[in-house]
Amino acid sequence: MNDVQAMERLGEARGQGLAAIETASSLEELRAAEVAALGRRSPVAEVQRSLGTIDLADRPRIGREVNRVFEDLRAAVAARRVALEAEAEADVALTDRIDVTLPGRRPPPGGLHPLTSTMRAVVDAFISLGYRVSEGPELETEWYNFDALNFPPDHPARLTQDTLYPDVPGDLLLRTHTSPVQIRTMEAQEPPIYVVIPGRCFRRDTPDATHLPVFQQVEILAVDEGLSLADMKGTLEAWARAMFGPDQRVRIYPDYFPFVEPGAGLDVSCFLCGGRGCRVCGNGWIELLGAGMVHPALFENTGIDPERYSGFAAGLGIERVAMLLHGVPDIRMFYEGDVRFLSQLARSA
Amino acid sequence: MRVPLGWLGEFVTVALAPEDLAERMTMHGLPVDRIVRPWEGLSGVVVARVLEVRDHPGADRLCVARVDAGSEEREVVVGVRNMGSGDLVPYAPPGATLPGVDAPLERREIRGVASEGMLCSPKELGISGDHDRILVLEDAADPGSDAAATIGLGEVVLDIEVLANRADLLSILGVAREVAAMTGEDLRLPGISASEAGPAPIGVTVEVADPDRCPRYLATVVRGVTAGSSPLRAQVRLTAAGMRPRWNVVDATNYAMLELGQPLHAFDLDRLAGPGIVVRRASPGERLVTLDDVERRLAEDDLVIADRERAVAVAGVIGGADTEVSEETRDILLEAAVFEPRGVFRTSRRLGLRTEASMRFDRGVDPEAVAEAAARATALLAEWAGGKGAGSVDVGEPPGRRTVAIRPERASALLGVELTASEVREALGRLRIPAREEAGGIVAEIPPYRVDVTREVDLVEEVGRSVGYGLVPSTLPGIRQAGGLSPEQRLRRRLADLLAGAGLWETYSFPFAADEDLPFVPGREPIRMANPISADDAGLQTSLLPGLLRAAQRNVAQRTTSVRLFEIAATFRAGHPDPVEEERVAALLTGPVGQEWPAERREHDVLDATGLVEHVVDGLGAAGMGLGEVPGPPWHPGRSAVVTIAGEPIGEVGELHPRVSRRFDLPGRVAAFELRVGPLVAAAGEAPRYRDISRFPPVHRDVAFVLDASVPAGDVRAALAEAGGDLLDRGVLFDVFEGAPLPQGKRSLAFSLDFRVPDRTLTDPEVEDRVRAIAERLRGEFGAELRAG
Repeated sequence: MNDVQAMERLGEARGQGLAAIETASSLEELRAAEVAALGRRSPVAEVQRSLGTIDLADRPRIGREVNRVFEDLRAAVAARRVALEAEAEADVALTDRIDVTLPGRRPPPGGLHPLTSTMRAVVDAFISLGYRVSEGPELETEWYNFDALNFPPDHPARLTQDTLYPDVPGDLLLRTHTSPVQIRTMEAQEPPIYVVIPGRCFRRDTPDATHLPVFQQVEILAVDEGLSLADMKGTLEAWARAMFGPDQRVRIYPDYFPFVEPGAGLDVSCFLCGGRGCRVCGNGWIELLGAGMVHPALFENTGIDPERYSGFAAGLGIERVAMLLHGVPDIRMFYEGDVRFLSQLARSA
Repeated sequence: MRVPLGWLGEFVTVALAPEDLAERMTMHGLPVDRIVRPWEGLSGVVVARVLEVRDHPGADRLCVARVDAGSEEREVVVGVRNMGSGDLVPYAPPGATLPGVDAPLERREIRGVASEGMLCSPKELGISGDHDRILVLEDAADPGSDAAATIGLGEVVLDIEVLANRADLLSILGVAREVAAMTGEDLRLPGISASEAGPAPIGVTVEVADPDRCPRYLATVVRGVTAGSSPLRAQVRLTAAGMRPRWNVVDATNYAMLELGQPLHAFDLDRLAGPGIVVRRASPGERLVTLDDVERRLAEDDLVIADRERAVAVAGVIGGADTEVSEETRDILLEAAVFEPRGVFRTSRRLGLRTEASMRFDRGVDPEAVAEAAARATALLAEWAGGKGAGSVDVGEPPGRRTVAIRPERASALLGVELTASEVREALGRLRIPAREEAGGIVAEIPPYRVDVTREVDLVEEVGRSVGYGLVPSTLPGIRQAGGLSPEQRLRRRLADLLAGAGLWETYSFPFAADEDLPFVPGREPIRMANPISADDAGLQTSLLPGLLRAAQRNVAQRTTSVRLFEIAATFRAGHPDPVEEERVAALLTGPVGQEWPAERREHDVLDATGLVEHVVDGLGAAGMGLGEVPGPPWHPGRSAVVTIAGEPIGEVGELHPRVSRRFDLPGRVAAFELRVGPLVAAAGEAPRYRDISRFPPVHRDVAFVLDASVPAGDVRAALAEAGGDLLDRGVLFDVFEGAPLPQGKRSLAFSLDFRVPDRTLTDPEVEDRVRAIAERLRGEFGAELRAG
């Protein structure tokens, strides 16, 4: 090939290549045109390969021309690609559309039971105050459920009409409260003791809108040197604030439970109306907890020195808190497993 | 205890409004459940003077009364005729409302005579059950004046929830003592003195054979009573306090009991053999027909009141029918006694009878107030029924008073309020607990009615009540430990979170089972209840699955067809020797996987359940899970397996037997699992360790093996992973194929394999070697043929 032929070839290749590139109507056509104009078998590449047959004097000129044609073609490809991509992007709204208001592909819905989330909230509030979690069996002995808790032998709670007894040898029953875990904890551990005790309990109640034979209870037990009713009040106030908001107040008044003395009932200011008084609370207070100072008989029963240590305990029913928090009118709904109910109230973990 | 405020006001001045008093009482340990106004529904009734009563022209049993209603004369048709001209009666004109009548009265014609309202019976006014007569007022009043005020029907009643340890608050007097303590007002004791009865009556003996169970028995004879109505004001009070007025003799004993807290029983003296009283234990097989006309079989632990021949009352619980006072009774033996509380409690529990008397005796009555109560009742019998006290016999004595010491510093420490010795004494003094300072503390003399105060802490509570819990400040203890969950508790929470996060709703169910559900899992021996509430809780659930099935059944019935539920709870089974309580986690999946377009159109099946188990096991970081043999009922024999961890069975997974689904009206397949939480959580791993992640590209091979369809894919997967060794980075089963062109009974399992090591790019020969090794292993172990490479 001589220099004239080479220049002619390059001229043709340039013209044809540019034409093919500029007329490419899609990215696929452009890619084909690019291969044809710039690939290993393109005319320009052929000229480049045959540079060796050209006179030495002409070679630099032809070489420069080869490079120039390559550059022009590459530039044309790049420009055309930008143009075609812009066209394609402009089109995508029309060619690749879907009605995005169709139902999305959700993971299957699910969640924790409202009693679980309420229980966790109560427990976590005490954990943040420094408490640990203590648990015990639901099938309990009379000793732990009644005797050790200072219930006299003839206390009405022991009646078969109030307590569920399994038909097994021994003195077992279904625990009527979480308080037996107080005894188990005091037996197992030296003071200081700060524990929160969640658990399922049983009473021989026929189900109605406010009673169930099964219910969830949580209580706390604190045993240390120098604990007082004031510590109990402050603790439960701190808990109520963690649970229901920073403006919570509590009030205590005398109440009776065999395992505490002095015994106390505890109201929290109504978290629905802020304590102004509403349909739910009436007078601004919600009766929520039974509480009191640990009865010395419990210390005597568990080998803790009542002269050195004192303690307080408080318990509440989770169903009641959940009913108040969520406005649930009938306690039985918690135990029916109706997904319509659960999906209203469940919070994922 | 229902406390009419007017009655309370006789014992202590109450200056507070009912709502304020109720609040004050609640804060002092007398929780007021509600404030009742029993005659709220009564309005417009006035006093009228009867001017004339004449026959109704159109009806024999009716009459027409003309009355002076103050401003005008009115005529009313009346169904009874006990009133006569000159009597004052309650008259309800048109527009008046009555508690027992729904709408306000209207003027209407009765058999041709216009009746402008009505004259009222005690029942219509809500005073008693008496509907046989028009109430004739006893006291003078002006016609036209408000009848409710005249009769005392403005009464406001506090319904007090008496705490279980406070025997003394089951009386108006007891409540008055507390009100006096909290308001600083004086306590009055109207009409009560100890000496109404006089010397011992001739011929009546009292013998107490069991003084432990009956420390004191006071029998008073009252002669010459005449049956009749009690005074209207007394009837109103009894009604307000929640007791039905009957007739004067019975009302007098009830009235004195409500007032003073001492139960009293009146025997018809003429019907007592002897006449004499013997307080003894029941003899074996002894029977007694009680006041409620039920024949009671007595036990030897029961204390009875007997005459010379037979039992005439169950001591402290209920009287006998034979010796009950009646309207013919003339002479009475009035019993005022103290019975040992626990004995009364046992008997009342055994007989299933809780009476006004037993609920006072089983808490403990004031042993020193017996004579006052008897005297009060005797005085009322004299006033209301014309009886005359004819002497008494008093056997036994009240025990001496207890003393209990209290240290002021102990009280201060427990209450969190600084109190001096004199403040403690004053606080007790307000509660009528005399206390004196001695060396080392204060000694309090406990009033006999405070049976609940036996040790120092009881007095600390009294001091707290007296100064008011409201003074207690709020402090926080200095806790010297970090709070938190144990690792095991955290994992149990994680278990619930994993399932909730995987799209299941957590449920709670009752752990009870009806008889037919008890053998749900044949291997687990159920525990039956000794005292079930109903047939639905004959025993305790051995499995969580029935609860989930019932929940699913309810949901499907409500057209929630895609059901994904789980529960974590204890289950129970009989063990030998001890019953076993095990926490389990169970899940149930049934119905379509998703319902809303574009969800996949398929039903839940066993692989959803096994996948969920794997998800949970992985999520807890537990290793070594496997699926073993078919577990048996209630599982589907072809679609279930025992779940193992490190070879130990921890539960079951699969579909439930179609028979089970049918029983719970579930139309399709029911996939489920049930695992024991303990071993599951125990298998959970430590904090995961980092393994090198290769930066080199994998070498990919797709391979398919043809083998007997009966070979478990899980075994093939395990063998493949093992043979792949450390070169095999990932092996995924991506296709399972059965049918032509494969021979019957064969199937193809296709795997996508990625080979890769952390430190270099593998060469083709290395990978080919390893694929061959895998193929050889699978051929040797399962007869598998490599189809494509």
